[in-house]
Amino acid sequence: MIGAAVRPARDRARIVGLQVASLVVVLAAWEGLARAGWVDPLFVPTPSAVARSVPSLGGVAMSGLADTLAKTAAAYALSIVFGVAGGLVLGGARTLDQTLRPFVVALYGMPKILVLPWIVLLLGYGSVPAVVYGTLHGFFPILVLVSGAVRDVDGHLLTVGRAFGARPWQLYLKVVLPAIVPAVLAAMRLGVVFCLLGVLVVEMFAGVRGMGSVMGALANGFRAPELFAATALVSLASIVIVLALDALGERLSRWR
Amino acid sequence: VTVVLIRAGIVAVVLAGWEIAARVGSPLLYVPPSAAVPALRDLLLLRSYPDLLEHLLLTVHEILIAYGLAVAAGLAVGFALGLYRTLGRAYGPILAALYAVPAVVWYPSLMLFFGLDAASKIAFGFLLGFFPITLAVLAGIRQVNPQLVIVARAFGARPLTIFLKVLVPAMLFTLVGGLRTGAALSVVGVIVGEILGSKAGMGALINHAYGLLRTADYVALVVVSLAVIVATDGAASLLERRARRWTE
Repeated sequence: MIGAAVRPARDRARIVGLQVASLVVVLAAWEGLARAGWVDPLFVPTPSAVARSVPSLGGVAMSGLADTLAKTAAAYALSIVFGVAGGLVLGGARTLDQTLRPFVVALYGMPKILVLPWIVLLLGYGSVPAVVYGTLHGFFPILVLVSGAVRDVDGHLLTVGRAFGARPWQLYLKVVLPAIVPAVLAAMRLGVVFCLLGVLVVEMFAGVRGMGSVMGALANGFRAPELFAATALVSLASIVIVLALDALGERLSRWR
Repeated sequence: VTVVLIRAGIVAVVLAGWEIAARVGSPLLYVPPSAAVPALRDLLLLRSYPDLLEHLLLTVHEILIAYGLAVAAGLAVGFALGLYRTLGRAYGPILAALYAVPAVVWYPSLMLFFGLDAASKIAFGFLLGFFPITLAVLAGIRQVNPQLVIVARAFGARPLTIFLKVLVPAMLFTLVGGLRTGAALSVVGVIVGEILGSKAGMGALINHAYGLLRTADYVALVVVSLAVIVATDGAASLLERRARRWTE
Protein backbone atom coordinates (compact mmCIF):
# COMPACT_ATOMS: atom_id res chain seq x y z
CA MET A 1 0.00 0.00 0.00
CA ILE A 2 2.20 2.81 1.23
CA GLY A 3 5.94 2.54 1.69
CA ALA A 4 8.10 -0.36 0.41
CA ALA A 5 11.25 0.72 -1.39
CA VAL A 6 11.50 -0.56 -4.96
CA ARG A 7 14.31 -0.53 -7.48
CA PRO A 8 13.33 2.31 -9.83
CA ALA A 9 14.44 0.91 -13.20
CA ARG A 10 12.76 -2.46 -12.85
CA ASP A 11 9.70 -0.83 -11.37
CA ARG A 12 9.44 1.53 -14.30
CA ALA A 13 9.75 -1.29 -16.82
CA ARG A 14 6.97 -3.16 -15.03
CA ILE A 15 4.70 -0.10 -15.15
CA VAL A 16 5.23 0.49 -18.86
CA GLY A 17 4.77 -3.21 -19.50
CA LEU A 18 1.48 -3.15 -17.64
CA GLN A 19 0.31 -0.09 -19.61
CA VAL A 20 1.17 -1.63 -22.97
CA ALA A 21 -0.26 -5.01 -22.01
CA SER A 22 -3.58 -3.56 -20.86
CA LEU A 23 -3.86 -1.52 -24.04
CA VAL A 24 -3.28 -4.63 -26.15
CA VAL A 25 -5.74 -6.65 -24.08
CA VAL A 26 -8.43 -3.97 -24.38
CA LEU A 27 -7.99 -3.66 -28.14
CA ALA A 28 -7.89 -7.45 -28.62
CA ALA A 29 -10.97 -8.00 -26.45
CA TRP A 30 -12.78 -5.22 -28.28
CA GLU A 31 -11.88 -6.66 -31.69
CA GLY A 32 -12.87 -10.14 -30.53
CA LEU A 33 -16.19 -9.09 -29.03
CA ALA A 34 -17.11 -7.10 -32.12
CA ARG A 35 -16.16 -9.94 -34.48
CA ALA A 36 -18.02 -12.50 -32.40
CA GLY A 37 -21.09 -10.32 -32.67
CA TRP A 38 -21.37 -9.52 -28.96
CA VAL A 39 -21.57 -5.82 -29.75
CA ASP A 40 -23.22 -4.45 -32.84
CA PRO A 41 -20.50 -3.26 -35.25
CA LEU A 42 -22.95 -0.65 -36.45
CA PHE A 43 -22.45 1.17 -33.13
CA VAL A 44 -19.10 -0.13 -31.92
CA PRO A 45 -16.77 -0.80 -34.84
CA THR A 46 -13.76 -3.07 -34.48
CA PRO A 47 -10.41 -1.33 -33.95
CA SER A 48 -9.27 -2.68 -37.32
CA ALA A 49 -12.29 -1.10 -39.02
CA VAL A 50 -11.49 2.19 -37.28
CA ALA A 51 -7.91 2.01 -38.56
CA ARG A 52 -9.11 1.20 -42.08
CA SER A 53 -11.43 4.22 -42.06
CA VAL A 54 -8.62 6.69 -41.44
CA PRO A 55 -7.68 7.17 -45.16
CA SER A 56 -11.27 7.82 -46.25
CA LEU A 57 -11.63 10.31 -43.41
CA GLY A 58 -8.26 11.97 -44.02
CA GLY A 59 -8.97 15.15 -46.00
CA VAL A 60 -12.26 16.09 -44.33
CA ALA A 61 -10.88 15.50 -40.87
CA MET A 62 -7.68 17.43 -41.49
CA SER A 63 -9.42 20.53 -42.82
CA GLY A 64 -12.01 20.25 -40.06
CA LEU A 65 -9.36 19.97 -37.41
CA ALA A 66 -7.43 22.91 -38.86
CA ASP A 67 -10.60 25.00 -38.80
CA THR A 68 -11.37 24.02 -35.22
CA LEU A 69 -7.84 24.70 -34.04
CA ALA A 70 -7.80 28.12 -35.73
CA LYS A 71 -10.98 29.12 -33.89
CA THR A 72 -9.59 27.69 -30.67
CA ALA A 73 -6.40 29.71 -31.10
CA ALA A 74 -8.42 32.91 -31.56
CA ALA A 75 -10.60 32.14 -28.53
CA TYR A 76 -7.52 31.23 -26.52
CA ALA A 77 -5.71 34.46 -27.35
CA LEU A 78 -8.79 36.50 -26.41
CA SER A 79 -9.25 34.53 -23.17
CA ILE A 80 -5.67 35.11 -22.12
CA VAL A 81 -5.68 38.83 -22.94
CA PHE A 82 -8.99 39.52 -21.20
CA GLY A 83 -8.43 37.02 -18.42
CA VAL A 84 -4.97 38.24 -17.43
CA ALA A 85 -5.91 41.91 -17.79
CA GLY A 86 -9.10 41.42 -15.79
CA GLY A 87 -7.24 39.37 -13.22
CA LEU A 88 -4.63 42.11 -12.75
CA VAL A 89 -7.36 44.73 -12.28
CA LEU A 90 -9.53 42.65 -9.95
CA GLY A 91 -6.63 41.28 -7.94
CA GLY A 92 -5.12 44.74 -7.52
CA ALA A 93 -8.27 46.62 -6.49
CA ARG A 94 -9.54 45.17 -3.24
CA THR A 95 -12.91 46.93 -3.08
CA LEU A 96 -13.73 46.24 -6.71
CA ASP A 97 -12.78 42.62 -6.23
CA GLN A 98 -14.99 42.20 -3.16
CA THR A 99 -17.91 43.89 -4.87
CA LEU A 100 -17.71 41.89 -8.07
CA ARG A 101 -16.67 38.51 -6.70
CA PRO A 102 -20.17 37.00 -6.38
CA PHE A 103 -20.87 37.93 -10.01
CA VAL A 104 -17.62 36.39 -11.19
CA VAL A 105 -18.27 33.20 -9.21
CA ALA A 106 -21.83 32.97 -10.50
CA LEU A 107 -20.82 33.51 -14.13
CA TYR A 108 -17.91 31.09 -13.81
CA GLY A 109 -20.11 28.40 -12.32
CA MET A 110 -23.08 28.85 -14.58
CA PRO A 111 -23.39 26.19 -17.28
CA LYS A 112 -22.68 28.29 -20.35
CA ILE A 113 -24.50 25.87 -22.61
CA LEU A 114 -27.73 27.58 -21.55
CA VAL A 115 -26.78 30.79 -23.36
CA LEU A 116 -25.43 28.99 -26.42
CA PRO A 117 -28.71 29.11 -28.40
CA TRP A 118 -28.87 32.84 -27.77
CA ILE A 119 -25.27 33.39 -28.89
CA VAL A 120 -25.91 31.46 -32.10
CA LEU A 121 -29.11 33.43 -32.66
CA LEU A 122 -27.23 36.71 -32.34
CA LEU A 123 -24.04 35.81 -34.17
CA GLY A 124 -25.17 33.38 -36.83
CA TYR A 125 -23.70 30.11 -37.97
CA GLY A 126 -20.14 31.13 -38.86
CA SER A 127 -16.90 31.09 -36.92
CA VAL A 128 -17.77 34.08 -34.71
CA PRO A 129 -20.11 32.30 -32.27
CA ALA A 130 -17.54 29.51 -31.85
CA VAL A 131 -14.80 32.01 -31.01
CA VAL A 132 -17.08 33.95 -28.64
CA TYR A 133 -18.31 30.83 -26.88
CA GLY A 134 -14.79 29.38 -26.66
CA THR A 135 -13.60 32.67 -25.15
CA LEU A 136 -16.44 32.57 -22.66
CA HIS A 137 -15.22 29.13 -21.55
CA GLY A 138 -11.55 30.03 -21.34
CA PHE A 139 -11.89 33.52 -19.85
CA PHE A 140 -13.34 32.75 -16.41
CA PRO A 141 -10.86 30.14 -15.14
CA ILE A 142 -7.99 32.41 -16.22
CA LEU A 143 -9.60 35.45 -14.58
CA VAL A 144 -10.18 33.60 -11.32
CA LEU A 145 -6.70 32.06 -11.14
CA VAL A 146 -4.86 35.26 -12.06
CA SER A 147 -6.86 37.55 -9.78
CA GLY A 148 -6.29 35.10 -6.92
CA ALA A 149 -2.56 35.09 -7.60
CA VAL A 150 -2.39 38.90 -7.70
CA ARG A 151 -4.32 39.05 -4.44
CA ASP A 152 -1.87 36.66 -2.81
CA VAL A 153 1.26 38.58 -3.81
CA ASP A 154 3.33 39.04 -0.66
CA GLY A 155 2.31 42.41 0.81
CA HIS A 156 5.75 42.92 2.34
CA LEU A 157 7.36 42.94 -1.09
CA LEU A 158 5.01 45.70 -2.19
CA THR A 159 5.60 47.70 1.00
CA VAL A 160 9.35 47.41 0.67
CA GLY A 161 9.20 48.31 -3.01
CA ARG A 162 7.09 51.35 -2.22
CA ALA A 163 9.40 52.36 0.61
CA PHE A 164 12.28 52.35 -1.83
CA GLY A 165 10.35 54.72 -4.03
CA ALA A 166 9.20 52.32 -6.74
CA ARG A 167 6.40 53.68 -8.90
CA PRO A 168 3.19 51.73 -9.42
CA TRP A 169 4.19 50.55 -12.89
CA GLN A 170 7.56 49.47 -11.55
CA LEU A 171 5.86 47.51 -8.80
CA TYR A 172 3.70 45.79 -11.40
CA LEU A 173 6.60 44.97 -13.66
CA LYS A 174 9.15 43.92 -11.06
CA VAL A 175 7.08 42.47 -8.22
CA VAL A 176 3.58 41.50 -9.30
CA LEU A 177 4.25 40.07 -12.75
CA PRO A 178 7.08 37.73 -11.75
CA ALA A 179 5.07 36.59 -8.74
CA ILE A 180 2.04 35.55 -10.77
CA VAL A 181 3.89 33.68 -13.53
CA PRO A 182 3.12 30.20 -12.09
CA ALA A 183 -0.58 31.03 -11.80
CA VAL A 184 -0.71 32.42 -15.32
CA LEU A 185 0.96 29.28 -16.66
CA ALA A 186 -1.49 27.06 -14.77
CA ALA A 187 -4.35 29.16 -16.08
CA MET A 188 -3.06 28.91 -19.65
CA ARG A 189 -2.88 25.13 -19.39
CA LEU A 190 -6.40 24.92 -18.01
CA GLY A 191 -7.78 27.52 -20.39
CA VAL A 192 -6.82 25.84 -23.64
CA VAL A 193 -8.88 22.73 -22.93
CA PHE A 194 -11.87 24.92 -22.03
CA CYS A 195 -11.49 26.94 -25.24
CA LEU A 196 -11.33 23.80 -27.39
CA LEU A 197 -14.34 22.44 -25.54
CA GLY A 198 -16.34 25.59 -26.20
CA VAL A 199 -15.45 25.66 -29.90
CA LEU A 200 -16.34 21.98 -30.34
CA VAL A 201 -19.69 22.40 -28.58
CA VAL A 202 -20.68 25.26 -30.89
CA GLU A 203 -19.60 23.28 -33.94
CA MET A 204 -21.68 20.32 -32.80
CA PHE A 205 -24.66 22.52 -32.02
CA ALA A 206 -24.66 24.75 -35.07
CA GLY A 207 -21.48 24.17 -37.00
CA VAL A 208 -21.16 24.21 -40.72
CA ARG A 209 -17.41 23.64 -40.58
CA GLY A 210 -14.89 22.30 -38.13
CA MET A 211 -14.30 19.03 -36.36
CA GLY A 212 -17.38 19.28 -34.15
CA SER A 213 -19.71 19.44 -37.13
CA VAL A 214 -17.78 16.66 -38.89
CA MET A 215 -18.26 14.44 -35.84
CA GLY A 216 -21.91 15.38 -35.53
CA ALA A 217 -22.49 14.49 -39.17
CA LEU A 218 -20.67 11.17 -38.79
CA ALA A 219 -22.80 10.30 -35.75
CA ASN A 220 -26.03 11.20 -37.53
CA GLY A 221 -24.92 9.15 -40.55
CA PHE A 222 -24.14 6.10 -38.37
CA ARG A 223 -20.59 6.04 -39.71
CA ALA A 224 -19.13 4.63 -36.54
CA PRO A 225 -15.59 3.72 -37.73
CA GLU A 226 -14.98 7.22 -39.09
CA LEU A 227 -16.53 8.75 -35.96
CA PHE A 228 -14.21 6.78 -33.68
CA ALA A 229 -11.22 7.74 -35.81
CA ALA A 230 -12.22 11.42 -35.68
CA THR A 231 -12.71 11.24 -31.91
CA ALA A 232 -9.26 9.72 -31.51
CA LEU A 233 -7.77 12.41 -33.74
CA VAL A 234 -9.25 15.31 -31.74
CA SER A 235 -8.28 13.68 -28.45
CA LEU A 236 -4.74 13.21 -29.67
CA ALA A 237 -4.53 16.84 -30.82
CA SER A 238 -5.77 18.03 -27.44
CA ILE A 239 -3.30 15.88 -25.51
CA VAL A 240 -0.43 17.10 -27.71
CA ILE A 241 -1.40 20.74 -27.13
CA VAL A 242 -1.56 20.28 -23.37
CA LEU A 243 1.78 18.47 -23.29
CA ALA A 244 3.34 21.23 -25.37
CA LEU A 245 2.01 23.86 -22.96
CA ASP A 246 3.38 21.81 -20.07
CA ALA A 247 6.81 21.77 -21.66
CA LEU A 248 6.60 25.50 -22.35
CA GLY A 249 5.54 26.16 -18.76
CA GLU A 250 8.41 24.16 -17.39
CA ARG A 251 10.83 26.13 -19.51
CA LEU A 252 9.38 29.49 -18.46
CA SER A 253 9.38 28.64 -14.76
CA ARG A 254 13.00 27.53 -15.01
CA TRP A 255 13.81 30.90 -16.59
CA ARG A 256 12.09 32.61 -13.70
CA VAL B 1 -24.03 46.83 3.75
CA THR B 2 -22.66 49.36 1.26
CA VAL B 3 -21.16 46.51 -0.77
CA VAL B 4 -24.57 44.83 -0.96
CA LEU B 5 -26.12 48.12 -2.06
CA ILE B 6 -23.50 48.56 -4.77
CA ARG B 7 -24.08 45.00 -5.95
CA ALA B 8 -27.83 45.62 -6.11
CA GLY B 9 -27.07 48.82 -8.00
CA ILE B 10 -24.98 46.93 -10.54
CA VAL B 11 -27.76 44.41 -11.10
CA ALA B 12 -30.29 47.23 -11.52
CA VAL B 13 -28.07 49.08 -13.98
CA VAL B 14 -27.45 45.94 -16.04
CA LEU B 15 -31.16 45.13 -16.16
CA ALA B 16 -32.09 48.70 -17.06
CA GLY B 17 -29.40 48.88 -19.72
CA TRP B 18 -30.59 45.59 -21.10
CA GLU B 19 -34.19 46.79 -21.19
CA ILE B 20 -33.25 49.96 -23.06
CA ALA B 21 -30.88 48.25 -25.45
CA ALA B 22 -33.43 45.55 -26.21
CA ARG B 23 -36.17 48.09 -26.92
CA VAL B 24 -33.90 50.18 -29.12
CA GLY B 25 -32.48 47.13 -30.86
CA SER B 26 -34.68 44.13 -31.43
CA PRO B 27 -36.97 43.00 -28.60
CA LEU B 28 -37.22 39.62 -30.28
CA LEU B 29 -33.47 38.99 -30.28
CA TYR B 30 -32.50 40.64 -27.01
CA VAL B 31 -35.57 39.83 -24.89
CA PRO B 32 -35.94 42.76 -22.49
CA PRO B 33 -36.62 41.82 -18.84
CA SER B 34 -40.11 43.29 -19.19
CA ALA B 35 -40.85 40.59 -21.77
CA ALA B 36 -39.06 37.82 -19.90
CA VAL B 37 -41.06 38.21 -16.68
CA PRO B 38 -44.50 37.55 -18.22
CA ALA B 39 -43.00 34.65 -20.17
CA LEU B 40 -41.65 33.20 -16.95
CA ARG B 41 -45.09 33.59 -15.34
CA ASP B 42 -46.73 31.82 -18.28
CA LEU B 43 -44.17 29.06 -18.07
CA LEU B 44 -44.61 28.54 -14.33
CA LEU B 45 -48.41 28.56 -14.70
CA LEU B 46 -47.91 25.84 -17.33
CA ARG B 47 -49.48 27.96 -20.05
CA SER B 48 -46.64 28.04 -22.59
CA TYR B 49 -45.37 24.50 -21.95
CA PRO B 50 -48.06 22.42 -20.20
CA ASP B 51 -45.69 19.44 -19.93
CA LEU B 52 -42.92 21.45 -18.22
CA LEU B 53 -42.99 19.28 -15.10
CA GLU B 54 -42.48 16.03 -17.00
CA HIS B 55 -39.45 17.44 -18.81
CA LEU B 56 -38.04 18.94 -15.63
CA LEU B 57 -38.44 15.66 -13.77
CA LEU B 58 -36.81 13.75 -16.61
CA THR B 59 -33.79 16.04 -16.50
CA VAL B 60 -33.52 15.74 -12.72
CA HIS B 61 -33.88 11.97 -13.04
CA GLU B 62 -31.07 11.79 -15.60
CA ILE B 63 -28.86 13.94 -13.40
CA LEU B 64 -29.45 11.78 -10.34
CA ILE B 65 -28.64 8.53 -12.16
CA ALA B 66 -25.58 10.03 -13.87
CA TYR B 67 -24.26 11.40 -10.60
CA GLY B 68 -24.94 8.20 -8.67
CA LEU B 69 -23.00 6.19 -11.23
CA ALA B 70 -20.20 8.76 -11.29
CA VAL B 71 -19.86 8.63 -7.49
CA ALA B 72 -19.83 4.82 -7.39
CA ALA B 73 -17.36 4.43 -10.25
CA GLY B 74 -15.25 7.42 -9.24
CA LEU B 75 -14.79 6.18 -5.68
CA ALA B 76 -14.10 2.60 -6.81
CA VAL B 77 -11.55 3.56 -9.45
CA GLY B 78 -10.01 6.29 -7.28
CA PHE B 79 -9.45 4.00 -4.31
CA ALA B 80 -8.25 1.14 -6.50
CA LEU B 81 -5.65 3.36 -8.18
CA GLY B 82 -4.75 5.18 -4.99
CA LEU B 83 -4.32 2.18 -2.73
CA TYR B 84 -2.50 -0.12 -5.15
CA ARG B 85 0.72 1.55 -6.17
CA THR B 86 1.30 -0.40 -9.34
CA LEU B 87 -2.21 0.18 -10.63
CA GLY B 88 -1.96 3.86 -9.80
CA ARG B 89 1.37 4.32 -11.53
CA ALA B 90 0.20 2.45 -14.60
CA TYR B 91 -3.28 3.90 -15.09
CA GLY B 92 -2.99 7.26 -13.32
CA PRO B 93 -1.14 8.91 -16.24
CA ILE B 94 -3.64 7.47 -18.74
CA LEU B 95 -6.48 8.95 -16.70
CA ALA B 96 -4.71 12.31 -16.52
CA ALA B 97 -4.17 12.30 -20.29
CA LEU B 98 -7.85 11.54 -20.90
CA TYR B 99 -8.76 14.39 -18.56
CA ALA B 100 -6.80 16.75 -20.85
CA VAL B 101 -9.26 15.95 -23.64
CA PRO B 102 -12.37 18.17 -23.79
CA ALA B 103 -15.04 15.68 -22.78
CA VAL B 104 -17.48 16.76 -25.45
CA VAL B 105 -15.47 14.84 -28.08
CA TRP B 106 -16.99 11.65 -26.63
CA TYR B 107 -20.53 12.87 -26.97
CA PRO B 108 -21.18 12.00 -30.65
CA SER B 109 -20.01 8.44 -30.02
CA LEU B 110 -22.20 8.18 -26.93
CA MET B 111 -25.15 9.51 -28.92
CA LEU B 112 -24.52 6.95 -31.64
CA PHE B 113 -24.24 4.14 -29.12
CA PHE B 114 -26.99 5.06 -26.67
CA GLY B 115 -29.37 6.87 -29.01
CA LEU B 116 -31.21 10.13 -28.57
CA ASP B 117 -33.01 9.15 -25.36
CA ALA B 118 -32.02 9.53 -21.73
CA ALA B 119 -29.22 6.92 -21.82
CA SER B 120 -26.79 9.07 -23.81
CA LYS B 121 -27.34 12.04 -21.46
CA ILE B 122 -26.81 9.83 -18.42
CA ALA B 123 -23.64 8.43 -19.98
CA PHE B 124 -22.28 11.90 -20.68
CA GLY B 125 -23.20 13.26 -17.24
CA PHE B 126 -21.55 10.20 -15.74
CA LEU B 127 -18.38 10.75 -17.77
CA LEU B 128 -18.09 14.40 -16.74
CA GLY B 129 -18.74 13.67 -13.07
CA PHE B 130 -16.49 10.63 -12.92
CA PHE B 131 -13.16 12.36 -13.55
CA PRO B 132 -13.15 15.00 -10.79
CA ILE B 133 -14.31 12.42 -8.24
CA THR B 134 -11.60 9.93 -9.20
CA LEU B 135 -8.92 12.62 -9.24
CA ALA B 136 -10.07 13.96 -5.86
CA VAL B 137 -9.80 10.49 -4.32
CA LEU B 138 -6.29 10.14 -5.73
CA ALA B 139 -5.26 13.59 -4.48
CA GLY B 140 -6.84 12.89 -1.08
CA ILE B 141 -4.99 9.62 -0.61
CA ARG B 142 -1.73 11.34 -1.46
CA GLN B 143 -2.41 13.88 1.30
CA VAL B 144 -2.83 11.28 4.03
CA ASN B 145 0.15 11.21 6.33
CA PRO B 146 1.70 7.73 5.92
CA GLN B 147 2.78 7.82 9.57
CA LEU B 148 -0.86 7.61 10.61
CA VAL B 149 -1.31 4.43 8.61
CA ILE B 150 1.90 2.92 9.99
CA VAL B 151 0.94 3.72 13.57
CA ALA B 152 -2.55 2.31 13.09
CA ARG B 153 -1.10 -0.86 11.59
CA ALA B 154 1.41 -1.14 14.44
CA PHE B 155 -1.50 -1.05 16.87
CA GLY B 156 -3.01 -3.97 15.02
CA ALA B 157 -5.77 -2.18 13.12
CA ARG B 158 -7.24 -4.21 10.27
CA PRO B 159 -7.23 -2.87 6.70
CA LEU B 160 -10.94 -2.05 6.86
CA THR B 161 -10.50 -0.20 10.15
CA ILE B 162 -7.56 1.74 8.75
CA PHE B 163 -9.62 2.60 5.70
CA LEU B 164 -12.64 3.81 7.63
CA LYS B 165 -11.02 5.37 10.70
CA VAL B 166 -7.75 6.76 9.33
CA LEU B 167 -7.81 7.14 5.59
CA VAL B 168 -11.30 8.45 4.92
CA PRO B 169 -11.38 11.06 7.73
CA ALA B 170 -7.91 12.32 6.78
CA MET B 171 -8.87 12.86 3.14
CA LEU B 172 -12.48 13.88 3.62
CA PHE B 173 -11.83 17.54 2.90
CA THR B 174 -10.49 16.88 -0.60
CA LEU B 175 -12.94 14.07 -1.23
CA VAL B 176 -15.97 16.20 -0.49
CA GLY B 177 -14.67 18.96 -2.74
CA GLY B 178 -14.34 16.44 -5.57
CA LEU B 179 -17.83 15.11 -4.96
CA ARG B 180 -19.20 18.62 -5.23
CA THR B 181 -17.32 19.39 -8.45
CA GLY B 182 -18.52 16.06 -9.79
CA ALA B 183 -22.12 16.98 -9.03
CA ALA B 184 -21.80 20.31 -10.84
CA LEU B 185 -20.24 18.61 -13.87
CA SER B 186 -22.82 15.82 -13.98
CA VAL B 187 -25.49 18.50 -14.19
CA VAL B 188 -23.59 20.25 -16.99
CA GLY B 189 -23.12 16.98 -18.83
CA VAL B 190 -26.79 16.11 -18.81
CA ILE B 191 -27.83 19.59 -19.94
CA VAL B 192 -25.18 19.78 -22.66
CA GLY B 193 -26.32 16.39 -23.88
CA GLU B 194 -29.93 17.48 -23.97
CA ILE B 195 -29.16 20.66 -25.88
CA LEU B 196 -26.93 18.92 -28.42
CA GLY B 197 -29.73 16.54 -29.30
CA SER B 198 -32.71 15.11 -27.45
CA LYS B 199 -36.42 14.50 -27.62
CA ALA B 200 -37.32 15.29 -24.02
CA GLY B 201 -36.00 17.15 -21.01
CA MET B 202 -35.26 20.80 -20.31
CA GLY B 203 -32.67 20.92 -23.09
CA ALA B 204 -35.22 19.70 -25.60
CA LEU B 205 -37.66 22.43 -24.48
CA ILE B 206 -34.92 25.04 -24.77
CA ASN B 207 -34.11 23.85 -28.28
CA HIS B 208 -37.79 23.87 -29.18
CA ALA B 209 -38.28 27.46 -28.00
CA TYR B 210 -35.08 28.54 -29.73
CA GLY B 211 -35.98 26.79 -32.97
CA LEU B 212 -39.35 28.53 -33.12
CA LEU B 213 -37.80 31.89 -32.18
CA ARG B 214 -39.92 31.97 -29.03
CA THR B 215 -37.09 33.87 -27.39
CA ALA B 216 -39.02 35.06 -24.32
CA ASP B 217 -40.02 31.47 -23.58
CA TYR B 218 -36.41 30.45 -24.13
CA VAL B 219 -35.23 32.95 -21.51
CA ALA B 220 -37.91 31.73 -19.09
CA LEU B 221 -36.80 28.12 -19.60
CA VAL B 222 -33.18 29.11 -18.98
CA VAL B 223 -34.21 30.84 -15.75
CA VAL B 224 -36.03 27.72 -14.55
CA SER B 225 -33.06 25.50 -15.45
CA LEU B 226 -30.73 27.85 -13.62
CA ALA B 227 -32.96 27.72 -10.56
CA VAL B 228 -32.68 23.92 -10.53
CA ILE B 229 -28.90 24.12 -10.92
CA VAL B 230 -28.52 26.72 -8.17
CA ALA B 231 -30.71 24.64 -5.84
CA THR B 232 -28.59 21.53 -6.51
CA ASP B 233 -25.40 23.43 -5.91
CA GLY B 234 -26.78 24.99 -2.73
CA ALA B 235 -27.66 21.57 -1.36
CA ALA B 236 -24.21 20.27 -2.30
CA SER B 237 -22.43 23.17 -0.60
CA LEU B 238 -24.53 22.63 2.54
CA LEU B 239 -23.43 18.98 2.66
CA GLU B 240 -19.86 20.05 1.98
CA ARG B 241 -19.85 22.47 4.91
CA ARG B 242 -21.33 19.81 7.17
CA ALA B 243 -18.67 17.26 6.24
CA ARG B 244 -15.94 19.81 6.77
CA ARG B 245 -17.21 20.77 10.19
CA TRP B 246 -17.27 17.10 11.08
CA THR B 247 -13.59 16.63 10.21
CA GLU B 248 -12.44 19.59 12.25
